[in-house]
Amino acid sequence: MSEASARLLLVDDEPQIVRALTPALTAAGYSVETASTGESALSQMAGNPCDVMILDLGLPDMDGKDVIRRVREWSEAPIIVLSARDLESEKISALDLGADDFVNKPVGVGELLARVRASLRGRERRFTAQPSFKAGDLQINFPTRRVQVLGEDVRLTPREYDLLLTLARQAGRVVTHKQVIASVWGADAQVDAQFVRVLVAQLRQKLEIEPSSPRIVLTEPGVGYRLKADDDS
Amino acid sequence: MSFRPPATVSGGLSLKIAPFTSRTLWRYGAAFVLVALSTGAAEAFYRITQVTRVSAIFLAGVLIAAFWLGSGPAYFAAGLAFLAYNYYLMEPRLELNLGALEAALTLALFFAVAMLTGSLTGRVRDQAEKAQARARTTQTLFDATRDFSAIPDEAFIRERLVHHLAAAARGSALVFSNTQTFASPVGLDRPEELMRQALALGAEDGSGEVTTTFIDGWILRPLYADGAALGAAAWRSQSGARLAADEQTLLEILADTGAAAIARARLTAAKANAEARARTEELRDALLSSISHDLRTPLAAIMASASSLREFGDNFDAATRRDLTATIQEESERMNAFVANLLNMTKLEAGALAVHRTRFEIHEVIERTLRRQQLVNKRTILQATPGEDLQASGDPLLFEQALGNVVENAIRYSPAGSTVCIACERGANEAVVCVTDEGPGVLPSDMGRIFDKFYRSPSVSGKAGTGLGLSITRGFMEAMGGNVTAVNRPRPEHGLAVTLKLGLAQ
Repeated sequence: MSEASARLLLVDDEPQIVRALTPALTAAGYSVETASTGESALSQMAGNPCDVMILDLGLPDMDGKDVIRRVREWSEAPIIVLSARDLESEKISALDLGADDFVNKPVGVGELLARVRASLRGRERRFTAQPSFKAGDLQINFPTRRVQVLGEDVRLTPREYDLLLTLARQAGRVVTHKQVIASVWGADAQVDAQFVRVLVAQLRQKLEIEPSSPRIVLTEPGVGYRLKADDDS
Repeated sequence: MSFRPPATVSGGLSLKIAPFTSRTLWRYGAAFVLVALSTGAAEAFYRITQVTRVSAIFLAGVLIAAFWLGSGPAYFAAGLAFLAYNYYLMEPRLELNLGALEAALTLALFFAVAMLTGSLTGRVRDQAEKAQARARTTQTLFDATRDFSAIPDEAFIRERLVHHLAAAARGSALVFSNTQTFASPVGLDRPEELMRQALALGAEDGSGEVTTTFIDGWILRPLYADGAALGAAAWRSQSGARLAADEQTLLEILADTGAAAIARARLTAAKANAEARARTEELRDALLSSISHDLRTPLAAIMASASSLREFGDNFDAATRRDLTATIQEESERMNAFVANLLNMTKLEAGALAVHRTRFEIHEVIERTLRRQQLVNKRTILQATPGEDLQASGDPLLFEQALGNVVENAIRYSPAGSTVCIACERGANEAVVCVTDEGPGVLPSDMGRIFDKFYRSPSVSGKAGTGLGLSITRGFMEAMGGNVTAVNRPRPEHGLAVTLKLGLAQ
């Protein structure tokens, strides 16, 4: 695995979580560092930047969202939020602040590892522009704007294509309503989330075999959407 | 009294058409006496000086009558004085001489004096009466508004309103809400037609014009404020006679002020309600987020450990596998303890807590608590117990949980590696167990609330915890007839000292 040497920083103040996750992450080939407070996470990032940060939002010394804000001031390292909180607004603001993904506690290590891989891939993609994207039955050719499902061409409107592009760029990771609006309608657009839902429904009509139970464009209830990546569990 | 004269009468020319009351009779009698006295004085003056031109003496009598007794008696006195003067003193004496010019002049003079003086004093008296009435009105309104604003409670305001209305009408009053009637005097009869109309007014939408209606001597006015119908008010004077215009105005203002006060009371109540709801919601959110945290953290550790073992079990060495299974067991125990606390809280709230009172050894319970907490939390706990065995009376299981919650609290809110100490001693007829930690203690302002359900100090918001533990401790201790208190440890030490007291077995 190409990401195998990647370094993870696991930030959680609950020692039992750290103890339970570390062996599996290590066994998957990552080198794992841990921090139990926001301050120590920030200083570890500054001293020796990691490749992926797995961050619990409920830290004793500061809000996890502040950690995201501070890290994003200078680093593009993927951040996966590990959240035991039920509040969707928390997840949304964490994602809007620049977190790449979130995972609800409790989570199996299999899913967590898949998210870590997706984050690492996304990071690579930022540096190596791929001309095409493939996940399951879906294939996109970016230079020609050609979209195929099961080898058959699908005709999309410009907005539908922009939406698909936004989701594909972050394949496997969640994209919030706000992020969709910013990339489809423009950063300052005042668009109701209802429009996003309508647009997603149109896209699903064209891509999905069974639009009512989507398998390509997945919904993250209350937060946003996620395009299924190749190795999603 | 069947009819009240209008309070404003100016000018002596308009005679008061007053009924013949005892007070009126007395005034005319007094006028008669004044003239008789004047006649006596004039007679005496004539005997001494033989001067017959003593009309001034009669004039003085008329003046006094006009000044003191009002216009009517003044005219009466003027006429009487003229007759007496004419008969007794005017030449020829002792016979009426009505034809002479002098007689006509005297009569005119007397009447002029009576009219002018009566009018002047009448005006002064009217003004005084008006000022008094104004003062009464102001006082009544002042008393009423002070009453209305004393307690923002609708029923209280209606009660005061009916009282003030009855007082101002000098009779009786009723105040209707949609569900209740307030009466002054209490137990007053409520005419059916009045009730019906009052209820009809209360059912209006309250944005209509406020008009007064008359029903069987009652005056009915709707209570409208801010476009809301708040019922109606009705009043009548003692005898059912019409009230003077200014009294009527005062009563209407009273009713409207009362309506405004009721509307304000409703707003205050609605605001308090909304605030209570917001507080409840805040509490519920805090509870939900802390329950989800406290349940999910052990669950997350269990899930992570179990799924790790499934996926990578073969790659792990024996020590790692042992560690992961130990995590699963410990976290299951932690979850079990948390669920037990939730259940206990529910039992306490439902009053379904069963206390099995028995005689038990305090130090045995302390031992068990120590072992369990040291196993779960991996912290050193010091123990200071007396040589003698203390036998307390209570439920050992409940006491163990109560003590366990206090110790867990001490561990949670003190820095890792610091010491938690359980000391036990014999008090006056009770066992005293004191748990001290080396944490930051509690703000004095928060001290009274740490045993409240769901209360968590704002300064520990980063720490896990539901705010259930200490409130369960208090519930259990009180159920066993004991108690629990907390103080900050005195300087130079720092931290919290929580003391549990339970009666000794006899």
